[in-house]
Amino acid sequence: MSKPIIFIQVHGRPEIVEAELSEVATIGELYDVLTAVGIEMNSETFVFIDEAEEHQAGERHHPISSFRHGSRIHVCHCKRIRTTVHFLNHTAEREFAPGARVRAVKEWAVEKFKINPKDAAEHVLQLCNSTKRPPSDTRLNELVQLHECSVCFDLVPEKRVEG
Amino acid sequence: MNTPLSPGEALLRQDLSAPEFRCSEIDGRWRHVNTNWPLTVIAVSAPERPRSPLEYGFRFECTGYRQSPVTAQPWDVLNSRPLAPAQWPTGPVMVSAVFRPEWKGSNCLYLPCDRMSIEGHDNWRTVYPSRLWQPERGIICYLEQIHELFHQSDYSGTRSS
Repeated sequence: MSKPIIFIQVHGRPEIVEAELSEVATIGELYDVLTAVGIEMNSETFVFIDEAEEHQAGERHHPISSFRHGSRIHVCHCKRIRTTVHFLNHTAEREFAPGARVRAVKEWAVEKFKINPKDAAEHVLQLCNSTKRPPSDTRLNELVQLHECSVCFDLVPEKRVEG
Repeated sequence: MNTPLSPGEALLRQDLSAPEFRCSEIDGRWRHVNTNWPLTVIAVSAPERPRSPLEYGFRFECTGYRQSPVTAQPWDVLNSRPLAPAQWPTGPVMVSAVFRPEWKGSNCLYLPCDRMSIEGHDNWRTVYPSRLWQPERGIICYLEQIHELFHQSDYSGTRSS
């Protein structure tokens, strides 16, 4: 039987790397897989699985926390991503784990700014000083620039396609 | 002897097997149904709504891939034919603006990333920059827009539901 597939997302790199990992992998085995695909691991590199709040920590022989076929492995230089959202003349800030999705940021912002569900459906998060509107499934680790641990969004109206 | 693939077909097949496409497939966001160049059929998941399916099929016409945008037609995957307009997805504001059966003979979606719809809409390049075709990302940028419409907008089910 084939091993589960994992998808590796490295801080500051746009591409996703695909690899296999044993169903009962240890931290050491996970690090070996990451090293084998060319990722440099050091004391300032943290590994998160999917949307986990905590990074993988422990001895090489310790089992990794639960993962599944298709899990996203985030290799990041940050333990937390400082996330800022601007809406009209308001600003809110919170830290998220690197694997948190844009959807979670929007849900938090909608609650923070007390936006009703109808209006929320017609607003999207746009990266500050750009026209990029990352899909809601995008992980924050995909959006942070190399050497940074922060990301900034504007919550803007989504225009209906017309004309 | 095998005929060599055209550059467009080779790029499409590469994108359909890339990690970016496959991880979404494993997550259930979409699934590749079949490819018969220059056509490829992909089903995109939709959230549960009364009397509505959990996915919608789309037949993408990919001539000129990836420099040229693709165009997508809602597709009846089971019967391999265009999806009847009554079965098209809808919603009060955003989704109904994109899924317009009266537009161009029901052959495409009213989206700036669609090859047929962008024709004659030069102003869309400045009005909807985030919705344009991205040659470096290919068909994934189109699939993401459909998926977002179903899951993060005002999708309410099929027109007949």
